[in-house]
Amino acid sequence: MLPTHSLFRSGTRRRHTALMPLRCDSRRLKRVIEGISLWLAMLLLLFVQPIYAEASESAGELRFVDSGGRHLASAMLMEADYRVEVTGLVADVQLKQTFRNPSQRWREAVYVFPLPEKASVYGLTMIAGERRIVGEIREKAVAKQEYAKARSEGRKVARVDQQRPNLFTTHLANIPPGESIAIELHYQQPVRYQSGEFELRIPTTVTPRYMPGETDHSRATAWQGGWATPTTEVPDADRISPYTVLPGDVGANSHQASVAMTIKAGLPVSRVSSPSHRLDSIWDGNAVEVAIGEGSFAMDRDLIVRWAPTRGMAPAAAVFRQQWQGEGYLLAMLIPGLGSERQVPRELVFVIDTSGSMAGESIRQAKQSLLRGLATLGPDDAFNIIQFNSQTASLFMDPVPATANDLARARRYVGNLEANGGTEMALALDAALNRRGSEGLSGSVDGVQRLRQVVFITDGAVGNESALFRRIAHRLGDTRLFTVGIGSAPNMHFMREAARFGRGTYTSISNPADVARSLDELFGKMQSPVLTDIQVTWPDATASQSAQPQRIGDLFRGEPLVQVVRGQAPTGDLRVTGRLPGGSLWQQSLNLAQAANGKGLHRVWARQKIDGLLAASTLDPDPGEEDSDDIPGRVTALGIEHQLITPYTSFLAVDKTRARPADASLRSDSVPTLLPAGSDAGMLRYPQTATMAPLLQALGLLGLMFSVAIVLLRKRAIV
Amino acid sequence: MKYLLSLITISSFAVLAFGLWIPFKALMAQELLELAWAESQARQRPVRPWPWADTWPVARLAIHYGQSDQHADTADDQRQSLIVLEGAHGESLAFGPGQVFGDERGAGPTVIAGHRDTHFSGLKHLRAGSQLQLQRGDGQWQSYRVSDTRVVDSRHHQINTALLPRNALLLVTCYPFNGLAGRGPLRYVVEARAMPGELVASVVAR
Repeated sequence: MLPTHSLFRSGTRRRHTALMPLRCDSRRLKRVIEGISLWLAMLLLLFVQPIYAEASESAGELRFVDSGGRHLASAMLMEADYRVEVTGLVADVQLKQTFRNPSQRWREAVYVFPLPEKASVYGLTMIAGERRIVGEIREKAVAKQEYAKARSEGRKVARVDQQRPNLFTTHLANIPPGESIAIELHYQQPVRYQSGEFELRIPTTVTPRYMPGETDHSRATAWQGGWATPTTEVPDADRISPYTVLPGDVGANSHQASVAMTIKAGLPVSRVSSPSHRLDSIWDGNAVEVAIGEGSFAMDRDLIVRWAPTRGMAPAAAVFRQQWQGEGYLLAMLIPGLGSERQVPRELVFVIDTSGSMAGESIRQAKQSLLRGLATLGPDDAFNIIQFNSQTASLFMDPVPATANDLARARRYVGNLEANGGTEMALALDAALNRRGSEGLSGSVDGVQRLRQVVFITDGAVGNESALFRRIAHRLGDTRLFTVGIGSAPNMHFMREAARFGRGTYTSISNPADVARSLDELFGKMQSPVLTDIQVTWPDATASQSAQPQRIGDLFRGEPLVQVVRGQAPTGDLRVTGRLPGGSLWQQSLNLAQAANGKGLHRVWARQKIDGLLAASTLDPDPGEEDSDDIPGRVTALGIEHQLITPYTSFLAVDKTRARPADASLRSDSVPTLLPAGSDAGMLRYPQTATMAPLLQALGLLGLMFSVAIVLLRKRAIV
Repeated sequence: MKYLLSLITISSFAVLAFGLWIPFKALMAQELLELAWAESQARQRPVRPWPWADTWPVARLAIHYGQSDQHADTADDQRQSLIVLEGAHGESLAFGPGQVFGDERGAGPTVIAGHRDTHFSGLKHLRAGSQLQLQRGDGQWQSYRVSDTRVVDSRHHQINTALLPRNALLLVTCYPFNGLAGRGPLRYVVEARAMPGELVASVVAR
């Protein structure tokens, strides 16, 4: 700017000398203009300086800033590709995560990502250019050591750990500048079948979790991966809390997922739908090819795909078999046909999560769910509403009969709920499960015997799951706990396990259109009787010992019974007995000779077995008993035998040759996850705190400068 | 050509006027807010500063610049008093700093955000040890001492309100202070702690 201006001035000065005989006022005018332009230039200079100061940060890529506010090089780009193949009741998924390093330096990527709650990860391949390096399962500590060694030696190396049953971490070191490395994960997950519909859920992001407890300053944190710091109750808080960012904050084309899916249900499929995304489905015989309508989608919500068998073809039972390493595995599914619609008086306690992570769309859905629940109450029922965030508050001291007056009061109460604060779930669980005064089997207000049910509406965004599960198991009594998962990325592991410990069921709601359907199903289930005391007898007595899951909870209407067994030959009859609410006996048998060939059953079995072992150690954490003493060892053995990631085993893929030169340094990046769609940031986001004033002032001055310059130029041109 | 020239001149003037209007509005609104604050103190309930306002004053913030022990002579002069509004949506921040998080009675942590180019332009002068005072709806003044100033990237950091100490006061504004771009990712955070057991009663700011 300055040179232009001085050029100007010299130009005008020359004209001064040349145009002496001009009229006086025009000269004065010129002087005034010259003066103004000088001042404008001065002002502009003042504003131009910050433009230079800021030019370095205006590029469109994600950049990292260290504690001093200095910019680091641009961040890693990540995309995911899911290839899903559904065979019967098992979905086999190949997940390819590609990390691209757009910077000029060698990088390590650290990425915390979710997988379905029952996923068993059984394969890892690292793909660097043309090279494919197949990973192996290792004990977690060994994998960590070998990873650190390879990382420092400059070899390309990838490691995948399990942090929570549905939360994993990828470490990928020595990504060359400007290049990308992909890792290919193989996992399988069971398909959920309920009320005549199959459902598969692929989570893509993590709702920020609340970490209760005091900040633990004593521990040195080696890896500052997330926003949270370890607390007394959640010692690994930093490892399960990736930064959540808005889609606009990551680089273009980063955090995009593509999905290709093949469904071979084994029976004619009439309809494929998704409440979360638009699907394109192509029928090819009995198989269905499913693609996402938009091609790729932002990883800010779970992908849910549902398919239903053709009317009249709904299965009542299914058996699959597989031979693996000389052992036979059988998976049996049975849907008890429970017809009766007898209603029993109930005592319903609704617990609603009003913590900060529920803010936005979630709390609206939760309120809607609650109102729907209130609408199902009959005149014989009793109810109460408990809300919790950092504190717990309830509408009534004790459950009250569902009179029109109290229901109206409850609706008003629900309407006024607002989401903020922490997620102190423990007190709310106590309040819901504890019962004052009433002794005996069921809740009794005004002398009527009632079936006690708790509906827990939350996004499950907590870090101290196992402590909560313990609490539920200890305090449950005869109450049944039903969980309703809210939001576009609820913690499904929490939902499922809490319901399992609470001997109820779980439901998840992903968008407003889905609320009515899912909840009507849930509340219908809760009204109708359940099958209890279920016993499954396999023809082979020794095989029966290995059946997983070992203890089968109560079954509700439309729910299947699924069990996997090892060492059972596909002959004979499977007998299932149970007790109906009236006390009468119910039984059914299934001919195992009809078994169809299945895939990956041994992994289903192993994962169930591992879950069982871990659940036992969750409930009884003292290593006093001999049985619980060696749970890590037994889980590790199972993980290595079946090549599965467990809390104690990790996958590791190491390149043999050195890639990074010894003199090049390596920088570690935490790849963020996207904030779940529709949620206000669970954490308080920094507000926008700058006005347009300086920019407008600078632009205005610049424009004035420009016009003055033109005026002067024209003057000169005319003369 | 002539049209173009006049067009550029007029639009430049307009843009400049808008640019100057923003700080002017910020300055004038504080005067109106003073009145509303006085009224809400008198009536002990929130008073909207003008009938169509979607926010109301919740506190008064007094900032002392410079370290009081070192520059005793200037410390008393360099003092800024601001009325804090409820919420931090774009509309309320134009008139005054907004309380993003906090309890009306001052129990628990408080987070206040303000524009870097109007009300909170002075935050850059705050150092660890500087003093702040906050007056709540009940008229009580609470003194705070700045413990830390830092720059954060809003894309990678969020305020974990559950982990903030109960006596914390956070002042947030954009960074860098002389930046032009309105939507930068950096934030300047001043963290202060309440001085224990010291409720300065009715120290009026002016």
